[in-house]
Amino acid sequence: MTKTDSRFSQVQPWITFFGRILLGFVLLLAGYLKAKSPAQAQMAVRAYKLLPITIANLFGLSLPWLEIGAGVLLIVGIAVRYASVFGGALMFLFVLAISQAWARGLSIDCGCFGGGGQVAAGHTKYLQEILRDCGLTLTAIFLYLNPHGKFGIDKVEGLQRENSPDTKERDEQ
Amino acid sequence: MSSNKKSVKKNVDNTNRNLAIGMILFVVLVGAIFSVVSNKSNSHVSVPSAVSAADGYGIVFNKDAKVKVDLWEDFQCPNCRNFEAVAGNYITDLTRAGKIKTVFHPMTFIGPESILAAAAAACTVDDGKFLDMHLALYSNQPTKENSGSWTNSVLKLIASGAGATNKSVSSCIDSGKYVNWTKNVEADAAKQNVNATPTMFINGKLVDQAHYLNLDALKADFAAAGVK
Repeated sequence: MTKTDSRFSQVQPWITFFGRILLGFVLLLAGYLKAKSPAQAQMAVRAYKLLPITIANLFGLSLPWLEIGAGVLLIVGIAVRYASVFGGALMFLFVLAISQAWARGLSIDCGCFGGGGQVAAGHTKYLQEILRDCGLTLTAIFLYLNPHGKFGIDKVEGLQRENSPDTKERDEQ
Repeated sequence: MSSNKKSVKKNVDNTNRNLAIGMILFVVLVGAIFSVVSNKSNSHVSVPSAVSAADGYGIVFNKDAKVKVDLWEDFQCPNCRNFEAVAGNYITDLTRAGKIKTVFHPMTFIGPESILAAAAAACTVDDGKFLDMHLALYSNQPTKENSGSWTNSVLKLIASGAGATNKSVSSCIDSGKYVNWTKNVEADAAKQNVNATPTMFINGKLVDQAHYLNLDALKADFAAAGVK
């Protein structure tokens, strides 16, 4: 992005750090709460009426663990770029899923942090959920573009690649 | 900061990093597989005699009656309590009169105390007290879910209050005999796409959401299925 802008390069590691912590803890918490009540996690996915039942149930059972994994990677700061691509794609997927539920007039809880399934009409929180996930998608995009920040393991002692254009290409291979 | 690190770039050692990534992926994989396997239905669990695997491990009354009613509920769900208050007597009377085949599916997705309550209710089945226990649980539903109100000793009191006074009932509750059976019920709910409680099917037909708290509408649904 703006390597020449020295002010940005000073602030960026901190933004990256806080972004990692934010997205990481959201994913970790969401995953933990869902992994703890697998029956409801499956129900939450089914209630979107998007996937065939078997696939929805499988998704509901495995997604929490993927979220936990991505959350841990972001918090400790390893493979930030991969984890933020995953987290961002997930958040964007949630935005789409919640929007279609809203548009189709379903009455469901997003089930993002446990819970989920049908709720009484008028008890939906679609707008808040969409705005929150949009914010998290943007956070993930920022992390993808600026994966190196404060207190990230990736950076220590040259363990991890340099944030320069040529290694960016290597990252994506 | 960016520029003085360029020198290290050529000989980066990613072994530890990759090891850490590998470990995390391993945990994710094991967790996901464990989750899928442990939420599968298990045909070896102990179940009360009235439970039928063919009916999704539900508790079956009047298995030969013509009209089949499937009732999916969670003993901790507030709407199920309201439903019980509105329609509980009606459905219980039909069941006692043998007019409908009633299949109770006590779901447990709300949490640990739902599991304890469902398992305790199953313990009263063989004593013929399930319908009373069913009512008693809703009458004693805690205001807050999983607040620690429903322990096995409390559930034993509720059971004996409902007339299930046999020693076998309390030892059944204490030993958690039917705890694993509740997973089979949940696994079937997942298969049947039940996403809310209460959910009722009359002869396989989903009862309209708006009818659960409206006894007249419910009676009309039963009448339409041929229940007099």
